Amino acid sequence: MSTLARFAHTLRYELFENTPPDTKGRRLFFRGLELFIMGYAVYFCWTWGVYIQQNISSVLLPLGLANYIDVSFMFDHNVALINAVLVGMLGLVGFFRLWRPAYLLALLAFHLQYVARYSLGEISHGSNLIGMGVLGLGLALVVFQGERQRRRFTFGFLYFFIGLGYTSAAVCKLIGTGITWPDGRHLLMWIGERKVDTLSRFGSFDATMLQDLVFYDYHFGTLILLVGLLTEAVSFLMWWGKYRYLVVMLVVGMHFGILFSMNIFFQASTILLILLGLPWHRLIDYGLNRAPATVASS
Amino acid sequence: MGFPKRALPISGGFLVVYALLVATQLGEFWPFSIYPMFSQAGNPWTRAMVREMPSQTDPDTLSWDAVSLQRLPGASYPLAPKGINQNDVANYVSKTDQWSDERVQGLRSLFFKNRSVNSSLLVYRVRGELVADSVSISATPVLLFTPDASHLNPSPSDRTVAGRSPPAE
Repeated sequence: MSTLARFAHTLRYELFENTPPDTKGRRLFFRGLELFIMGYAVYFCWTWGVYIQQNISSVLLPLGLANYIDVSFMFDHNVALINAVLVGMLGLVGFFRLWRPAYLLALLAFHLQYVARYSLGEISHGSNLIGMGVLGLGLALVVFQGERQRRRFTFGFLYFFIGLGYTSAAVCKLIGTGITWPDGRHLLMWIGERKVDTLSRFGSFDATMLQDLVFYDYHFGTLILLVGLLTEAVSFLMWWGKYRYLVVMLVVGMHFGILFSMNIFFQASTILLILLGLPWHRLIDYGLNRAPATVASS
Repeated sequence: MGFPKRALPISGGFLVVYALLVATQLGEFWPFSIYPMFSQAGNPWTRAMVREMPSQTDPDTLSWDAVSLQRLPGASYPLAPKGINQNDVANYVSKTDQWSDERVQGLRSLFFKNRSVNSSLLVYRVRGELVADSVSISATPVLLFTPDASHLNPSPSDRTVAGRSPPAE
């Protein structure tokens, strides 16, 4: 077997076979995760829809499908809000397994909502992991018949692409700046930028303890950036079962580091990672196993 | 083909789609991305701030000079309580090469669409750059929005980032 074939075999095992047992807790946890992903998708679409209606009247910088179709039709007549309702309805149809293409169609509507909202030059990444979640669920629903296969595919798909995404981020930093990326003066620049943004948004700015530390001596910033870069670089290790929970929780820690040093919080991504990074199904199974004993004793 | 044998090729197929889309779309095709945020470190940045001015502010007597953050005129005009996204304003200010009527109206609509605003708003382009081991920040006024008109900075070179960037060596 060639190296590539061996690697593919290992990856297939680690992502789609080396999974926790399919207990009731696992099944309930998956449905909860599914509800979280689709619920957040609807939340994004609705808040974007309201913003589009209130504020956007022209396309400044087209993204995604907006490069090929004119999305200005989304800016008036409540089209964006109707689209958000459509995502919600398709989400419900998919969740109750009424129509298998529902989630993939919801993703298409979600994408249109994203490119309409972010047509003014900003490229937001706060919803990317939720979008990948909808894609994973959509593929699982269309390609696989059994719920057990759908669960295993969705989890494996998510771990693969999330790990790939964060490692890609590390590679981009090393290509974009080089080995000097973790220089603490770079963090000083970003904190300055965030200070201006915060002043612009709220009228005042209070530095966090971590930011005060960097202002005191930028070498603390070097340490912070180095830890963040290394965490991103090793994120692909979540493809392997034995490193999975540790690596995912390291990435969660990195996000909190970004929050306290840069005032930027990727809420949806962080919560999704917490859901994927801890064995919640064991907690649910524990609760379910205790429930009859608790009822009997009372 | 059993489950695991189908799962990997399907994921692999989408990896190819992912790679093709980000390769042909400058790294971004939501939800696919190479996640290039903060990849270019140490470069000067450009953001925006808005100051609230009296409604009768005269663009002919207003000072259009660059100032530090401590010397900004008028009152703070926080964007978040108004439901205006800071990044949208900053992108207009930093990514506009030519202030056409459409661009001016597009930025104006962020503040005035579906809102009644009785004061004037002065939009600043704020630039930060590394000087030795600290960050130097200066703010240049770009646009004055009065309740019934829009006025650009009289100096064309001060209106855009390109106009103010030092010449290439």
